[in-house]
Amino acid sequence: MTTTAKTPDRIDAILRACRLMLRMNRARPDARKSEVLYYEMLIDYCTQLATARQQGRFVAAHTVFFPSEVLYAMDIVPMHTETTSWMTALFLGQYADLLAAGAEQGLSSEICSPHRGLAGALSIGALPRPDAVLWSNMVCDNTAKCGELLMKITGSPGFFLDRPFQRSDEEMKYFVEELRDMVAFLEAQSGLKMDWGKLSETVRHMDEQIELFREINRLREAVPSPFHPQGFLELVTVDYLFPGRPKATEYLQTLRDELATAVTEHRGAVPKERYRLMTLFMPPMYLIGFLEKLSREYGAVSATEPFFCNWGEGRLDPAKPLESVAQKSYMLPESHMFGPMSEKAIGEIVESARRYEVDGAIYYADVGCRHTCATIKLFKDALSEIDVPVLTVDCDVVDPTVTSEGEVREKLERFFELLDDRR
Amino acid sequence: MRAVGLDIGSLSTKAVVMGGDGILSSAVVLSSDSAESSAKAALQQAMAKASQDGEIYVVSTGAGGKSVSFSRQNKAITTCLARGIHYLLPEARTVIDMGAESITVVRINERGRVSDYGNQDKCAAGTGIFLQQMAKLLRLSMEEMAVVSTKAKARAEITGTCAVFAESEVISHIHRDPPTPVEDIVAGIYISMVHRIMSQLQRVGVKKEVAVTGGVAANRGLVSILEEEIGHTVLIPPTPELAGAIGAALIAKENMIQGAS
Repeated sequence: MTTTAKTPDRIDAILRACRLMLRMNRARPDARKSEVLYYEMLIDYCTQLATARQQGRFVAAHTVFFPSEVLYAMDIVPMHTETTSWMTALFLGQYADLLAAGAEQGLSSEICSPHRGLAGALSIGALPRPDAVLWSNMVCDNTAKCGELLMKITGSPGFFLDRPFQRSDEEMKYFVEELRDMVAFLEAQSGLKMDWGKLSETVRHMDEQIELFREINRLREAVPSPFHPQGFLELVTVDYLFPGRPKATEYLQTLRDELATAVTEHRGAVPKERYRLMTLFMPPMYLIGFLEKLSREYGAVSATEPFFCNWGEGRLDPAKPLESVAQKSYMLPESHMFGPMSEKAIGEIVESARRYEVDGAIYYADVGCRHTCATIKLFKDALSEIDVPVLTVDCDVVDPTVTSEGEVREKLERFFELLDDRR
Repeated sequence: MRAVGLDIGSLSTKAVVMGGDGILSSAVVLSSDSAESSAKAALQQAMAKASQDGEIYVVSTGAGGKSVSFSRQNKAITTCLARGIHYLLPEARTVIDMGAESITVVRINERGRVSDYGNQDKCAAGTGIFLQQMAKLLRLSMEEMAVVSTKAKARAEITGTCAVFAESEVISHIHRDPPTPVEDIVAGIYISMVHRIMSQLQRVGVKKEVAVTGGVAANRGLVSILEEEIGHTVLIPPTPELAGAIGAALIAKENMIQGAS
């Protein structure tokens, strides 16, 4: 079994940043216990990746929304490609060299930057070389193609998971077979066996976690909002990196209890809540600290993020683990974004705006993400019917050359002024 | 105390002095490197015209609005345009501001408040500076361009997406054999700008009446093509470049009244 060929320096650096965040959190008298757990999970995740080579463990790189529950059940070390890219921008602010290396791989600046950066990172050995590359069509055609390039760069074998856009009994059967084939591929490549009991246990935890996500969403309806302004990124990361992990259940239970207490005490996350916002798509990762600060300065909270927090209906069945993994992919909040945007998805956005009593919505239009940018007008029109203004911020999720902090500040301040003016 | 509105744009700085009965005076000066000194120059001119030298309450707006030390409040240009146009043309519900470096579309409600807005400030294409560049290239004044455009029999194809490419295209039209008639080139430049404006307009949504402000609004040739594309006539206030400064002065006046009560 082979693993990393070169020092995974970015993972080490992310690990150091997370340890520092953890120390700072522990030292703060008002620190949330859930935040401490969150950083502990990130540290565990990065430590696994950083030490995989020494421990002779099998590393699988996988794209976003890939069901990593299956990897955990097989004792494979997952490396979530997009989140690893985001964390590099979020914690280290170092991304230019990775994008430049991506450009050398032939990826132009119009292409989705996490993919560009990821290809660059693997090509210069800034991330561990995976033993296998797993990718799917669950987000966009770009993702569907990026796995082939990652295989070429790393020289690792790969598996493409084909998930049908629509959900019917036949399509579910097809997808379950795809998952079965993937398990067989991983077993052949890693020499490890699927532990079906462990997968069942993971699914049981996942089901509990989805229920906790829903409870947290209900608590977040409260005015003032009990959750910190950009807190949803924690929720997103927990599902992306730790699905079905017992510690993720503990984190969500702790967060739920903290929010419930805040709601009971009528305690808001920002000193004076003035603006309740809906966040559409992903804000620039390199500006998260700034956005959090600005939100507190202006009393602006992201009350809801329908594409990241609104889970679909249904429960998972530990007795049918693989079927449940397939079913979860259709329950994911982000599944609204896959394929053509439906009237139902747009209706849910409007419903969320009403339920969370939002004053306005911010659409982070990642210029490299064509299929999300194409929906700007759909959302703007739908929300304007219920008199919710939408601010579009052209940006890139990790590339700071597209939008500066100053530009974003200017746009947000102007938008807050508009919200004031409408009162 | 007098209410003063200052709109510090990238090409020109506008000042409006307002009294109890309305606008007392206004001034427009070329913007210098320093927003502060441009603001002072415009203010001095406007105050002199109004024969005023007493205490003032200043609200600033525009690209350099935040850099004016003697301004009591800085407001977004969208807010000021909405107030200004509501004062000048109360029936207007959409404002297209064609400034030197940006195009801003503001939809306003019946109270003169912003309902929605959109602006493009990432590229010079479609802006006043772009138009200036094109005039220089064709060796025409802006006024001459407007007149020439009315004689066009066709519209030369010119990209609306990039100012640099548009310039190359204009040069190629001038040098082709036979050369594209200058009036067709001008009409082509205007339509490329109008397409740019229309895309912003469609994003925000058109609601009648539509008013046009900013220095470029004085260009009749461009405005008539814009009217064709929108499908109806647009309203242009008597001093379209002052709409933002008037809005700022109105806000200054409101603040003074609120402060006094």
